[in-house]
Amino acid sequence: MSRKPAKGEYIETDTGNKVSRRSQIIGTTNIILGGKTVIQAEVIIRGDLLRTYPSSNPNEKQGTPVAVAIGRYCFFSRGCELRPPGKLYKGSFSHYPLKIADHVFVGPGSIIEAALIGSHVNIGSNVVVGKFAIIKDFVKILDGTVVPANMVIPSFSIVAGRPAQIVGEIAEGEIEGFDLREAYRAVGNS
Amino acid sequence: MAEFKPYTYFQCPCSDNSVSVREVGGANPAGQEETDEDERTFDPRAPRANYSLYPLEHLLYCEDCHQIRCPRCVLDEIVCWYCPNCLFEVPSSSVKSEGNRCTRSCFQCPICTAPLSVSSTEPPPEGLGAEYATVSGTYVLNCSYCLWSSKEIGIELDKPNSVYAQLAKIKNGGEPLLLPKERRKALEERREAGEDGSHIPGSKEEQELDAESHFYNLKSFYQEQLSDSSPAGALGLTGDYGYGSPGALSRIMGLYTSGALGDRKSKNKSGTMREAHDALEGLQITPLSASDAIARLCTSGWEGTASLSQRREQPHNPRFVSDLRPVANLLRTKRSKRCKTCRHILSKPESKVQKTHFRIRLVALNYIPNIAIRALQAPSAPSGLLAPLKPTQFLLTFSNPLFDSVRVNIATPAHTPGRFGSKVTILCPQFEVGANTDVWDEALGESGGKAGSEREKRRTKAEASEGQGQAEAGKIWERGRNWVSVVVEVVPASLRLDGPEFLKSEEQRRDAGPLREDEDVLEIPVFVRLEWEADVAGEEGGGLATGNKEKEVREKRELAYWCVLGVGRIAQD
Repeated sequence: MSRKPAKGEYIETDTGNKVSRRSQIIGTTNIILGGKTVIQAEVIIRGDLLRTYPSSNPNEKQGTPVAVAIGRYCFFSRGCELRPPGKLYKGSFSHYPLKIADHVFVGPGSIIEAALIGSHVNIGSNVVVGKFAIIKDFVKILDGTVVPANMVIPSFSIVAGRPAQIVGEIAEGEIEGFDLREAYRAVGNS
Repeated sequence: MAEFKPYTYFQCPCSDNSVSVREVGGANPAGQEETDEDERTFDPRAPRANYSLYPLEHLLYCEDCHQIRCPRCVLDEIVCWYCPNCLFEVPSSSVKSEGNRCTRSCFQCPICTAPLSVSSTEPPPEGLGAEYATVSGTYVLNCSYCLWSSKEIGIELDKPNSVYAQLAKIKNGGEPLLLPKERRKALEERREAGEDGSHIPGSKEEQELDAESHFYNLKSFYQEQLSDSSPAGALGLTGDYGYGSPGALSRIMGLYTSGALGDRKSKNKSGTMREAHDALEGLQITPLSASDAIARLCTSGWEGTASLSQRREQPHNPRFVSDLRPVANLLRTKRSKRCKTCRHILSKPESKVQKTHFRIRLVALNYIPNIAIRALQAPSAPSGLLAPLKPTQFLLTFSNPLFDSVRVNIATPAHTPGRFGSKVTILCPQFEVGANTDVWDEALGESGGKAGSEREKRRTKAEASEGQGQAEAGKIWERGRNWVSVVVEVVPASLRLDGPEFLKSEEQRRDAGPLREDEDVLEIPVFVRLEWEADVAGEEGGGLATGNKEKEVREKRELAYWCVLGVGRIAQD
């Protein structure tokens, strides 16, 4: 890297998010960051892929539409991509929101098109999470896994393979290891 | 090659390594001398060691036995069954009756195991209004990963829901399948017809049965036979389920024991039984010539043949891809864990499927100090391998999770076991690790809480004389509130086997074979002995008793175990 960024590598927001200046975040108004989330360089977040199909629930408040909702203490490593999933439903194509809870780690080069990712989820590097996948809490996805579309991964699973299969269980003592507060603190702005 | 990550494995004391073993693949069954319990050192390379070493995260701790518990010395108890796909709880009664598979609509692709989704075969409607919505139409199961569709095996569904029930009625190809209820009806009809004696063997009944109806037919046939052969039942029980009755049981037992009890009776009755002789009675003639299968193999080829892993998933052992059926998802369980010796619960998850909370969770992580390994100097070689015969220093950091300070004694054999014994020296084998404090104390102390930092300062001052940052014998390297680092010096062994004879160890002289897998990994067995004084009153009385200083009873505790430090790979020169 010849050119050194003039300021710090990260833009720090009021809620403590550290967003790399070299990340590509499209449609920022449709993205919610819960705070203390790290977004590294070359991460792509597609907030522009909004839901076009009218919501079935008319009571839902008509505020600003949300394409990507991210909780607290999430960590998006270099070069990963978050893309709201889309499908053809009753003849029209629409995207649907991508929701990510707290303490979710996404490894470098992974592509996430899930519908829902629970909290305390560790996704390795070069993983593809297919459209409308649902990942529950305390799940570890090993490097290079391809999670097929519409797959549901229950809590306390270790997942690997192409297509992904549940290969193991998270032991009771491994629960603390999913906490990403340390990883957040370790990210310096230099 | 993947980068070597230092690891620490703990040995669960439940395993007994005193039985002498011989190395798998080793040429000579080296008779290992039984040594005294105290002198015996733990060999991490022993084939048995694999089954007793665990990372600390996998271990539990029994508070009543005061001992580490590994997955081998706990008992699992099923809290609930649930489908991993729809996450619905399945009551254990229906697991017993319906089997351990999801009976809703959760299916796996028979080709690639990805989840199947139901989709309509009708073209999508033109508009969005209710008048366009189609009510009719068939549905198929689709795999979004390998694009398999249930149309390939000729299965189409009428409804998008309750797929399990629908699939139970359809054969591959779309023909209807008899349900157990219908089977019974057909059987009864046949029996009525059979009363006339007009039974024609070899007619339409010579059909091919699927596994389920085969079993059902056989079962009902033999039940019938049993009830016929013992009309009043051996002990006066009538009932067509003759073989569940105690009379039948004693008769069956009589067959095996040939005792005086049931012997005569069984002799009387054995003659009246006959064997099944048609399909409705469960007779299936195995096709002796495999010409059909060979012809199919020739036409369908390699692509049409089911792989071993695909066949393993299927209950009926199909040979061709076209015989595969969608696989209903296997249920998964939530389990609580009990100590095998004292039966106390060590871990108990919430019984609701979606909840991830634990009601009880006694993990070893909260009871025994974790050991982290770090190289003191950055490795000289870019590969990160350890240079042989060059003293290398490592830092072992013991962090104490207990709220009492712990005295730690660590010991290692001077040479690591195995053919290539590396020299190991722990510079400070005896030290005390400070007590852990509450998360709150920590948070307050860090944010400028005077008392905490003052105490910390005083302590560090008192221990400043212990030589911080110097690799000196008998002194610790560094210490924090609840952690201590000590230095271990290692002289990695040379992996050469062609060295001079006098340099060789006894094992090398005995076995001069080439380097085996992972023999270049430097693993150090370490014996850890902990001593601390636990607050008994605080443990039992909860919050109330802790305030009572006079009555505080301190109990001396001791815990000792082996662990293995994986330090690095030795470079091969």
